[in-house]
Amino acid sequence: MISAQLAMPPAPAASPAPAPAPRAKVLIRNLDFYYGSAQALYDVSVPLYDRCVTAFIGPSGCGKSTLLRVLNRIYELYPGQRATGAVLVDGEDILRPGLDLNLLRARIGMVFQKPTPFPMSIFDNIAFGIRLYRRPPRSELGDRVEAALRRAALWEEVKDKLKESGHSLSGGQQQRLCIARAIAVEPEILLLDEPASALDPISTQRIEELIAELKSDYCVALVTHNMQQAARSSDYTAFLYLGRLVEFDETERIFTNPKERRTEDYITGRFG
Amino acid sequence: MSSEHIIKSYDEELAKLNRIVAEMGGRAESQLALAIEAVTTRDSELAARVVEGDAAVDRLERDLDNLAIRLLALRQPMARDLREIFAALKVASDLERICDYAANIAKRAIALNQTPPVQPVGALPRMARLAELMIKDVLDAYVARNADQALAVWMRDEELDEMYSSLFRELLTYMMEDPRNISASTHLLFMAKNIERIGDHATNIAENVYYLVHGTPLTETRPKGDKSSLEVVLPARDGGPRR
Repeated sequence: MISAQLAMPPAPAASPAPAPAPRAKVLIRNLDFYYGSAQALYDVSVPLYDRCVTAFIGPSGCGKSTLLRVLNRIYELYPGQRATGAVLVDGEDILRPGLDLNLLRARIGMVFQKPTPFPMSIFDNIAFGIRLYRRPPRSELGDRVEAALRRAALWEEVKDKLKESGHSLSGGQQQRLCIARAIAVEPEILLLDEPASALDPISTQRIEELIAELKSDYCVALVTHNMQQAARSSDYTAFLYLGRLVEFDETERIFTNPKERRTEDYITGRFG
Repeated sequence: MSSEHIIKSYDEELAKLNRIVAEMGGRAESQLALAIEAVTTRDSELAARVVEGDAAVDRLERDLDNLAIRLLALRQPMARDLREIFAALKVASDLERICDYAANIAKRAIALNQTPPVQPVGALPRMARLAELMIKDVLDAYVARNADQALAVWMRDEELDEMYSSLFRELLTYMMEDPRNISASTHLLFMAKNIERIGDHATNIAENVYYLVHGTPLTETRPKGDKSSLEVVLPARDGGPRR
């Protein structure tokens, strides 16, 4: 038996399947942005890959939050702010005039630095957006609220007090409530603008764990000042400085051996 | 790296790390030189001092380990800073091993001094000089963060390996000529092996300097000059040794 086995030619070594190349959900092309006459972004071109977390890092005022605000055109709420270039989401330029902004913002959810629960019950915080876009029957509404709260890892903590105000929750819970609210309308892209910077370390780790969970379903863009958080949580990292993209690469590369001297100086704390 | 950290104490700690490595390097050079001097001058007192000196190097390595752990925990270094600390840890561990080998040579020198002098002691200092030069050059490369200089040391190990191979054959001949040479020759052989190993540690350091500078490992295969592990001695029919 053994000799028979030995006589058999060795099985060809299974060649490892090449990792599928990530698909660019969003392609930002030659983006310029102006606050009135002041230019905040210069010719930024960067992809956001689907089912990946892309972190944006850079010193204050480098344009990373501005970039996020362009992605769901929230800047249009303010007069004098304008963007030129192209932001292709699945090939469609979302900067084009005439686009339905409500539908766009349903596809692209956003969570801010400070938790922003609506002054209503926990249940209604989530149900509000769903009613706005889908108008589901009452029975289905409850299921959707529960699903969103479960997805945001908040359900177990709030299931017995859904009628209480969203403001009664702790800061970390409020932030997860906002994430639940964002994903309740089933967006494709999640924009997280420093989602954990106002939270304590435990809540921060919950948010990071949640980000890791969410990326299996969404294209996630994460703005953070916390370098370790960017290194831990993201697959790709873009370093912006003075409104320009300095370097974009796989996160591991950016934090171990970046190509650009300015990136290295920034991540090692040498920016003077 | 030319520019400084925003936090000054971080730079000071990294500088201290480098100072400890440099001090360990200086000790490694002098420990080896003194050990070889103890062999050639048959000075057992000097050899004993070298053996005692090893403890100071071990202390330095512990200091460096503690500092590196502290830096990793408190500064969460990234990119080149991380490689600096990683390389310092690895280089220090190689230097500590080099000092162990020097101490071992010194111990054997004390034993060797109990036996009558043997012929090929002269080849040993030649090997040691090359090893010392490799240590010195690789430390210069480390201090200057010069990957090319490190690479030159890395290539030079082949020469040391060849010297070891020829000394190995020479000592074999002495032992076969007269069994009374066996004890002393064995000690010399182990000393030569120690020096050969010191050369290997110098090449390890060279690899770490390369990694520190470029951020990628040195992946080439180094040429090997030591073939002694393949040597056999066969009993010859005519009574003389045959190899």
